[in-house]
Amino acid sequence: MEAYFELDDEAKARGLFQLVREDGTAVDEAALSGLDRTLARRLFEGMVRIRVTDARMMALQRQGRIGFYGEATGQEAAVVGSAAASEPQDWIVPALREAGVGLFRGMTLDSYLAQIFGNAEDSTKGRQLPCHPCDRAHHYVVMSSCVSTQIPHAVGIAMAMKIAGDRDKVCFGFMGDGGTSEGDFHVALNFAGVSKAPCILICQNNQWAISTPGTVQTAAASIALKGIGYGLEALRADGNDVLAVHRVVKYAADKARRGDGATFVELVTYRVSAHSSSDDPSRYRDEAVTELWKDKRDPIRRLETYLVGRGWLAAGEREALAHQMEAEVRDAIARQEAIAPPALETLIEDVYEEPTWLQREQLAELAAAPRTRAPHQH
Amino acid sequence: MAFNFYMPDIGEGVVEGEIVAWKVKEGDRVTLDQPIVEVMTDKATVELPSPRAGTIVQINYRDGQICPVGQVLVVIDDGAAASSKPEAPATPPALHAVPVAPGSGAGAIQIVDTTASRARVLATPATRRLARQLGVELGDIEPTGKHGRVTTDDVRGHRANGAAAPAASATPARAAATYAPSAIAKAGDEERIPLRGVRKKIAESMARAVHTAAHFTYVEEVDMTELVAVRERAKPRAAERGVKLNYLPFIVKAVVSGLKKWPQLNASLDETTQEIVRKKYYHIGIAAQGPHGLAVSVVREADRRSIFDISREIDRLGEAVKAGTATRDDLTGGTFTISSLGKLGGVLATPIINFPEVAIIGVHKIEERPAVRGGQIVARHLMNLSISIDHRLADGWDGAMFLQDVKALLEDPTTMFMEMV
Repeated sequence: MEAYFELDDEAKARGLFQLVREDGTAVDEAALSGLDRTLARRLFEGMVRIRVTDARMMALQRQGRIGFYGEATGQEAAVVGSAAASEPQDWIVPALREAGVGLFRGMTLDSYLAQIFGNAEDSTKGRQLPCHPCDRAHHYVVMSSCVSTQIPHAVGIAMAMKIAGDRDKVCFGFMGDGGTSEGDFHVALNFAGVSKAPCILICQNNQWAISTPGTVQTAAASIALKGIGYGLEALRADGNDVLAVHRVVKYAADKARRGDGATFVELVTYRVSAHSSSDDPSRYRDEAVTELWKDKRDPIRRLETYLVGRGWLAAGEREALAHQMEAEVRDAIARQEAIAPPALETLIEDVYEEPTWLQREQLAELAAAPRTRAPHQH
Repeated sequence: MAFNFYMPDIGEGVVEGEIVAWKVKEGDRVTLDQPIVEVMTDKATVELPSPRAGTIVQINYRDGQICPVGQVLVVIDDGAAASSKPEAPATPPALHAVPVAPGSGAGAIQIVDTTASRARVLATPATRRLARQLGVELGDIEPTGKHGRVTTDDVRGHRANGAAAPAASATPARAAATYAPSAIAKAGDEERIPLRGVRKKIAESMARAVHTAAHFTYVEEVDMTELVAVRERAKPRAAERGVKLNYLPFIVKAVVSGLKKWPQLNASLDETTQEIVRKKYYHIGIAAQGPHGLAVSVVREADRRSIFDISREIDRLGEAVKAGTATRDDLTGGTFTISSLGKLGGVLATPIINFPEVAIIGVHKIEERPAVRGGQIVARHLMNLSISIDHRLADGWDGAMFLQDVKALLEDPTTMFMEMV
């Protein structure tokens, strides 16, 4: 066990746990001696997959083929490192940038894309904005667009697990830095602390809540410190060091599985992309800082350098991997884009067990009315 | 095969985008996902990647133009055989009737004739239910309720008056509510032109100006005889410098002098803060007919330019508008506008303010007309100036006094030169 985990509560919450430096060298060789090679490979692949998928989806958005997209580019380590610490029986309650957690746990690209296109195969019948996938089989709950409302849900799920005596299950609840200023965050952390529920509340602190920078988000020295006030163990790690992310989240998951309660984790990263396809960050921030994070602090390159140094990855392997994954994404896009929108009748489903006469009448009127389609569907 | 790239909605619900810059031109080869154009919406400026590899066949919106979402931005020939798929239509087909089987469920509802499409009828759910039970078509009922709402009494009354069952109501009773030209005009008597592009922009800004500003118009006659002589004398010198001298630069100079004295007219309203912004710079807009309609080009810092310089700048802007190469700076940022119809200047007009500016003047034709000077009728070169001001932000007095000053300067050009920088 690294010395970091032996620090007192405040030192942990103010510190920054790191295993691999920005230049890809190990902080402490001994701490990484037991690293599982297969796990390292999976982490690497998971990160590359997110980057490749995001790039394709942003291009599709700009071509008018999907309505919206929010990237996790530059935050892949925080996403994948957390996902790798979860077990199949666990539940995931995500925020906007954790679709990669779902994909890592087995959600297929096709089901992810079906939701983004809102087509007939989308399990939510095209009713949600893109980037709101859900996958019951892989315990991946649909994200809530309303910032922070998901954190009480995550804690509630964990409390239910505890009440039901599901010893080995953990609920992962995600949020962004902006979410920590919402009332729901505080309510949830309080319950998590009091109930000692088996949950991990993970804040991806990417330092920008749309256009609000971290400097005006909170007066606290770190977001992790907020956990201490609620009696939670609070950890803070370099969110662009995937091995460090995995180590702290795994520590929290093991603790929850032992029945030792909840943990609050802050992962410090940076939103190198726009908030979403509707946003233009050059209007409100200095993009020179972004370039630093995109370049020197890139999480994929950091692991790549480390793995190449350790002889676990060959030079040029990343390009080949990205190429192959891009082909997979393109194939999945071709399949999903060809699928028609959900049938019109689905509009009146799921509110009442049987649609009412009024709903059926409205549907019939709609069906008979002339309608236009988005041009790209021709 | 020609592939139409429709302008995407790149924000959430944006309706149009301004073309900032094309990175390709017609005839260029492009690869898949190659950035081809930079587009600015009210939310963001982004690069659009090409959705096809191929050749750029036709660019429909030039730099600086506004492309509505859903319009064909560019046509790309992707080289695929046309036979493999029917060519995409140039404009999206408007109608797609999507047949839907009536819901299974409780079968009590008979869908009769929904093609007799009607304007939405206002009625509460209880009234609708009653109409349903009585077999009355809501659209056939004359509403008596508030805002044209059909009431339960209307439904009962209609039924009591022996209304026919809905199946018989083949004619849509409320069709008159929507203007149906096909029923009135013979084929070919009317032409329908979509309101879009520059025309739409003009429509929007004119409507906003007229609906927002309290227009007050004042007209004054100006004796231009002296200035006509000055111009005649200055013509050879202008020609030496390659300047074709007309009256507009003199009017610009006189206007700038007047604006310095009446700063309330070189202003705009900041609607968000409810502040009148008085500008200490003089960017004079020149409204004139361009190839696509009205265009206002802007002579920046007119107070620091010579008559020749202004003349050259007006010519340059005119050419740029004609060629479609005018930049954003050329077309925005004015503080006051002069509307000029050139030689066709008419007698008077009621110019519409170039919102959110406070005032605009209209320049009319110079012609020899009889005038009384010292008790004698003499021929003088006379011209009318019309000024419209936004009476919310300035008073009629301000506009009239300003125009009097402009008139005095134009009638005695020597005084105008006294004030020049």
